[in-house]
Amino acid sequence: MYQITFQFENGANPVETAAAPDTTVLEAARAANVAIDAPCSGNGSCGKCRVKILSGQVEGLQTGHISDEDYADGWRLSCCTKPLSDLTVLVPDIASAYQSRMKTADLSSGEEMAIFHKLEEELKASGIGFGNDFIQCRVRMDAPTLDDTMPDTERLCLGIRSVSDCQQVRLPYFVVKKLATVLREADFDLMVSGERKDGVFSVLDIAPAADAAPLCGCAIDIGTTTVSAVLMDLQTGALLAKGSGGNGQIRYGADVINRIVEQCKPGGVKRLQQAIIQQTLVPLVAVMCQSAGIPVHSILRVCIAGNTTMNHLLLGVNANPVRMEPYIPTFYAWDGLRAGEIGLPANPNARVILSPNIGSYVGGDITAGALTSRIWDKDEFSLFIDLGTNGELVFGNREFMMSCACSAGPAFEGGDISCGMRATDGAVEGVHIDKDTLKPSLTIVGAAGQKPVGICGSGIIDVIAELFRTSAISAKGRFIRENPRIVYDKHGMGRYVLAASDQSETGREISITEVDIECFIRAKGAIFSAINIMLSSLDFSVSDISHIYVAGGIGSGINIENAVRIGMFPDVDRSVFEYIGNSSLAGAYAMALSDEAEQKVDELAANMTYLELSTNPRYMEEFMAACFLPHTNRELFPSSVQE
Amino acid sequence: MPFVPKKQVFNAHINEVVLGVGDKATAIGGQNVLPFHTFDAEIKNAPKIGAELTDLGMAEYVMPGEKAFYEGCQTVADMAKRAETLEGVSFLCLHFEGADPNGANKSVDECVKLAKEVSDATSLPLVVMGCKNIEKDTELFNKIAEALAGKNILVLSARDENYKTVGASAGLAYNQKVGAESAVDINLAKQLNTVMTQLGVNAQSIVMNIGSAAAGYGYEYVASTLDRVKDAALKQADTMLQMPIMTPVSSDTWGVKEAVMSEAEMPEWGSQEERGVEMEVATAAAVLAGGSDAVILRHPESIRTIHKMIQALM
Repeated sequence: MYQITFQFENGANPVETAAAPDTTVLEAARAANVAIDAPCSGNGSCGKCRVKILSGQVEGLQTGHISDEDYADGWRLSCCTKPLSDLTVLVPDIASAYQSRMKTADLSSGEEMAIFHKLEEELKASGIGFGNDFIQCRVRMDAPTLDDTMPDTERLCLGIRSVSDCQQVRLPYFVVKKLATVLREADFDLMVSGERKDGVFSVLDIAPAADAAPLCGCAIDIGTTTVSAVLMDLQTGALLAKGSGGNGQIRYGADVINRIVEQCKPGGVKRLQQAIIQQTLVPLVAVMCQSAGIPVHSILRVCIAGNTTMNHLLLGVNANPVRMEPYIPTFYAWDGLRAGEIGLPANPNARVILSPNIGSYVGGDITAGALTSRIWDKDEFSLFIDLGTNGELVFGNREFMMSCACSAGPAFEGGDISCGMRATDGAVEGVHIDKDTLKPSLTIVGAAGQKPVGICGSGIIDVIAELFRTSAISAKGRFIRENPRIVYDKHGMGRYVLAASDQSETGREISITEVDIECFIRAKGAIFSAINIMLSSLDFSVSDISHIYVAGGIGSGINIENAVRIGMFPDVDRSVFEYIGNSSLAGAYAMALSDEAEQKVDELAANMTYLELSTNPRYMEEFMAACFLPHTNRELFPSSVQE
Repeated sequence: MPFVPKKQVFNAHINEVVLGVGDKATAIGGQNVLPFHTFDAEIKNAPKIGAELTDLGMAEYVMPGEKAFYEGCQTVADMAKRAETLEGVSFLCLHFEGADPNGANKSVDECVKLAKEVSDATSLPLVVMGCKNIEKDTELFNKIAEALAGKNILVLSARDENYKTVGASAGLAYNQKVGAESAVDINLAKQLNTVMTQLGVNAQSIVMNIGSAAAGYGYEYVASTLDRVKDAALKQADTMLQMPIMTPVSSDTWGVKEAVMSEAEMPEWGSQEERGVEMEVATAAAVLAGGSDAVILRHPESIRTIHKMIQALM
């Protein structure tokens, strides 16, 4: 056995572990719960699990992902490296980003909140009320004496009846258990949170009136790659905090299939559930609560929008039948979960709403997103596109809705791209390239003067579209122009340098490689071919679409012109397009706040038809045709021109 | 009322590509009807047959019929002269199997020398087929295209991985014809034609090899791809799919077990040579019926049979 010490670039405490000689550094890291990002599950193909060997001897081949310079410097792929002695290993920030980078958004500018408030206004205009049954009331009781020997429960119920118009009060075990202590600590002056329905007051939690927190709700969008959440005041609807982080399950595979395979391994159910709850949601909600100044237990309602697999893994339900023909999930919609049952970061008694799924691969994120897009409230036809690891589409109007899903991979969220990242500080979100010099000008997320760290989805769309416009790459995504910014490694793979190592935040070059471009072309090909097949299977054409709503966590916006240029979206009038951001989170926010919105989503899920693309004989051919810039059938994209 | 068949003639046509120079130059493609639909319109050029000659020479020809036909030949150039005498052979295909780095690994110079000898020995158009090793083929095609400049040869083939260098040298610098090879997928075929023409290679100088398989070895894919390519080229007038198609048949069919197993090993299957010829003939007949404008065959008997078939159907 060798001793391996993992040190972290971001300053976290080092972790020590023992490893057998024939285990890889990645396996040792996983066993020690050190998060190293490995979307390819450790077969040496993605190049994301780079670590630096600070001391000790290792064996393992240099792969195409490590330059000669970096290799000499001690950089290795952790999945291809085995120890030959005790080691000290540096885990760079970028590799552990999915775990460590929990980001809270700055709500002061109002920009972040706009989408939620807009949705609330729009839903109200569509006749969806924003009321809920939550109530918080202060109950002052007389302290018991030898003459007043009423038990605590009766005293509390009496008190609640006197301040509310409810005749019946229900107390959960959770409250009864702590009632005696809390009542006496609070000197019989409590803040009671509960739900009031049909004259019944169901108590959810009690707290001393002195340190009462607002009644909070939490909406969470669990994506395969990215998790984002908002905290809101359930009575006023005010947003208290917003945050995002990588899905901690990412190190068990980049896509849902790999995750399910991992869940089937011994101990997998627990491992994946812990990865999402303990390692992702708990820290994420903790930082949000901290920034909002509220205790976690004041969250009394949680609404979760996630795809079918994510829901299953979250609940610790066997997801294997979702993967195997005939693809049957345990549940589409299921009501009755309490946060404490699976250890969600909230009041243990908080009700958990799961946005309903409609198919094995069209999940609650889409039903919640469909609510946000409001295509169900329009006479004209709309197309809703969610750009996630699973690309999902909904097409329809007031009369009908059809949905389908395609596997786009994590590229839109920066996964599987050598310099990819989520749209947080330092992400290149916009690129313009000069036609003659191929010099880029970058738009970077963050404060002025922020140096680039990596590229997020919208930046990748831009850089590929710009390289294509300037004829630097062929329609196949290979470099065809000679320029100092286009360099080749010894395997002949070309890359375009966006920022040299001395211009980036991390000290590493930021570039996009031919492999990245190919990967992204497949992602956009999956989206476009799905659009094409869904429309043609209904005998519609792109000219029938009045609105195209684009959603997803690709960045703060998307350059539609560029997305059309590379053949990702149909070449129609640009005014048809609208980027609506993270619609799934917005929908979950509405469902957490409004009982009517929750009912509406159930209704949408029940009325949506699911089109299975994988069994469509034309899909593969359409997909191949779309894996070209802009498309093998050029007539589909008359406005995509190269200069 | 008498039955008047409707003529299925298209406004679009397959590009006509001429290979070779002088009297023996041969043209493939050019038609505006489906394969062998002579009742719809005259087919400008009958499908052509090329004889495959391996650079490894006589040692590789072990079937009694082949040995008899090439008897007395010492060099590949001798074999080329012999093949020229066979009725139905319109071009020669020099297959550089020996260039494979995992095989005989002949040097590029050696191969270029052989190509020149063969070219000097015959007046038939020459098609040069590589060893399927991308790097070696790229270099080989560049050098041969240069050495045989002015001979209007066809290099078979540029692929997705090396179209830039092969297209630039054979197609642009030395004005030869360029094969575009893809793996039995209409979209990949079209994509390769598109990037080659974007590179500047004249669409009229491209011949497609859309990939093939011996009959019974996944040939359904080949059949459907051929059908759809011809459909797109003629009915939808897709200019990026109007290049004529050349299919190397023998290199596929002489490698499958029906052709490889000796009679000693499989007595119940009968004569190995007959089996090999039948595989070659069945596959060639199928790709021709599907729309291939030229086939490359190896066994003299196969060439005779397919030539007869073409004559009977034209």
